[in-house]
Amino acid sequence: VNVGVAHSEVNPNTRVMNSRGMWMTYALGVGLLHIVLLSIPVAWTLTNGIHNLGMYVFLPAVKGTPFETPDQGKARLLTHWAQLDYGVQFTSSRKFFTISPIILYFLASFYTKYDPTHFFLNTAALLSVLIPKMPQLHGVRIFGINKC
Amino acid sequence: MATVAEQWVLVEMVQALYEAPAYHLILEGILILWIIRLLFSKTYKLQERSDLTVKEKEELIEEWQPEPLVPPVSKDHPALNYNIVSGPPSHNIVVNGKECINFASFNFLGLLDNPRLKAAALASLKKYGVGTCGPRGFYGTFDVHLDLEDRLAKFMKTEEAIIYSYGFATIASAIPAYSKRGDIVFVDKAACFAIQKGLQASRSDIKLFNHNDMDDLDRLLKEQEIEDQKNPRKARVTRRFIVVEGLYMNTGTICPLPELVKLKYKYKARIFLEESLSFGVLGEHGRGVTEHFGIDIDDIDLISANMENSLASIGGFCCGRSFVIDHQRLSGQGYCFSASLPPLLAAAAIEALNIMEENPDIFAVLKEKCKRIHNALQGISGLKVVGESISPAFHLQLEESTGCRERDVKLLQEIVTQCMDRGIALTQARYLEKEEKYLPPPSIRVVVTVEQTEEELEKAATTISKVAQTVLL
Repeated sequence: VNVGVAHSEVNPNTRVMNSRGMWMTYALGVGLLHIVLLSIPVAWTLTNGIHNLGMYVFLPAVKGTPFETPDQGKARLLTHWAQLDYGVQFTSSRKFFTISPIILYFLASFYTKYDPTHFFLNTAALLSVLIPKMPQLHGVRIFGINKC
Repeated sequence: MATVAEQWVLVEMVQALYEAPAYHLILEGILILWIIRLLFSKTYKLQERSDLTVKEKEELIEEWQPEPLVPPVSKDHPALNYNIVSGPPSHNIVVNGKECINFASFNFLGLLDNPRLKAAALASLKKYGVGTCGPRGFYGTFDVHLDLEDRLAKFMKTEEAIIYSYGFATIASAIPAYSKRGDIVFVDKAACFAIQKGLQASRSDIKLFNHNDMDDLDRLLKEQEIEDQKNPRKARVTRRFIVVEGLYMNTGTICPLPELVKLKYKYKARIFLEESLSFGVLGEHGRGVTEHFGIDIDDIDLISANMENSLASIGGFCCGRSFVIDHQRLSGQGYCFSASLPPLLAAAAIEALNIMEENPDIFAVLKEKCKRIHNALQGISGLKVVGESISPAFHLQLEESTGCRERDVKLLQEIVTQCMDRGIALTQARYLEKEEKYLPPPSIRVVVTVEQTEEELEKAATTISKVAQTVLL
C-alpha cells in the first residue's frame, strides 16, 4: 500500500509498514526526536524511553483501526502489531521494527557509559517493547492487559 | 548521573566500554545474537498466491468427481410449473387465461393500477428516461430521489430517510452497516428471509428469541447483562441490537412494540424495526406500527420498509435520526454499490404518498375488510387462520399436518388450484426450504386489499370453505 495509490486492500493497516519510504521516515523521525532532545543531558535515555513508549502505545497496545474497514470489523480486537501482514510472522517489516529498538538500545547504553541506573531504565523500556513482539505472544493477553 | 559539562570524547567512551559491567555486556551479546538470527532467518512475505507442484495438481485432478450441472429435481417442483399472469396483477388478475379476483398480490392500498400513479410515472419516464445507469454516488442521484427521501422523512416524522433500489436489499444492507463482528443482535425467530441474510452478512452474534415472546427476550437480555458484568471493558465496546418486524410476513402478527421499547431502555439496546408490511397499513394515517401503538418515533432507532407493498413501487427506504441515516450513505452496501431507483418509480412513490396523505380513511376501510374476512374464514374445517384480525396478509395453515411437509404442500396446492378455477387467485407462501433458519409450516397466504368489495370477500370466504371441505375430507 503506497501513499496516493488506489488499492483494494481491505485493511490498510496490514500493509502500511511495507509502503515505500515508511522505514526511512521512521528512522528520520527518531533522529529528529533525538536532535530535539540533545540539549538535555540524559538525551539518549530520554530518546530511548520516549521512542519505546510511543512504540509500545501504537504497536502492541492500541487495538482496532482509526478508519472503518469493509470487513465487518475483523480487526476491531487486534492490535496493530497483530494486524501487520495479516498475522504472518517474520516478515521484513516485523524484523525491522524488532531490530530498531535494539539498535537504539545499543546506542543509548554506549553513550551513557554503561551507567547502572541508565541501564536499568533502558533495559526495562527495551523489554517492554520487545516482548510483545515475540511470535509466541501473538494474540496472547498476559495479566489481562488489553483483554477483550 | 551525568554532569552538565560532560565531555564526549571518543577515547573516554571506548574506555567506558572496556569498564562496562558484565551483565550489561552479556545482555548486549544476547541481543546481538538475536539480531543476527533475525537478519539471517527466512523472511516470510504475505502469500499472494500458493503454487502447487505438478504432482499435487495431478492428484487433485484425479480425485475430482464431476457433479451434475443441474441437480435432479422432481417434475412437480413449483418453480417448474408456474402460473402465467397476463396484464397487471391488480384487483382482477388474469392467471393462465382465467380471470380471478386477486387475493395474492401485496397491493394493500390498491395503488397498483391507480391512474394518478401511472400518469406520474409516465411523465417522469418522458422527462428522465427509464433507468439511472449509475449508483447514487456516480451521477445517479436525481431530484426525484431527493424529493422522495424528503417526503418520506416528513411523512414518517423523522429527520431523514434514505432510498434503496431493491426492497430485499434494504434491511439486508442496513443491518450490516451498524452491526459488526462482536456485536450482539437479538432477533425474533419468525424474522423474514431478508433479515436473516442481513444478519448473516453482519457476522455478529445472533440470539434468537421465541416469536413475540417478551419473556424469552427478557431472559436473553438478562443473561447478556450478567455476561457483561463479568467483562465490563468488552461490554463497553459491544453494540446490542433488537431486530423485529412490525407486521411479520411469516405469521401475520404484530410485534409488541411498547414492551420492546421498555426493554430497550432497561437493557440499553437499539431497536431496528422492519415495517415492510405495516407501512401504509397500520396506524391512523398509515405511518406504521409506531402510530398504531402511539409510540414516539424517536424511540425507534431505525425504521426500514420496502415500497413494494403499500406504495406499489419498487425499492425500500430507511428512516430515522439524521446521524443514524447518514451513516448508511457510505456504509449501506445496497445504497453505494447498486444503481439507484429508476426515477419513474420514485415519482410513482411520491404520488402514492400524496394519495395516502389525501385519503387517510382508506386505512380504516382496510382494517374493516381485514376483520370481516378474518371472521368469515374462522371455523373452516381443516384450516386455521394464523394472523391478527387487522393484518391484511395472513396465513391459512392446515389444522392437522399430515406429518410430511411435501404432502401438506400438495394438499394446499390442490386447494389453491381449485380456488383459482372458481375465480379466486390465492398463493402458497414460498420459502427457500434449505436456507431458512426456522422454516414456517406450509400455508396459503391470503391478502386483503382496499379494492375488494364486500361481496368479493364473502365469495372468497365461501369458496375457500367449500374447496377446503372437498379437498381435506
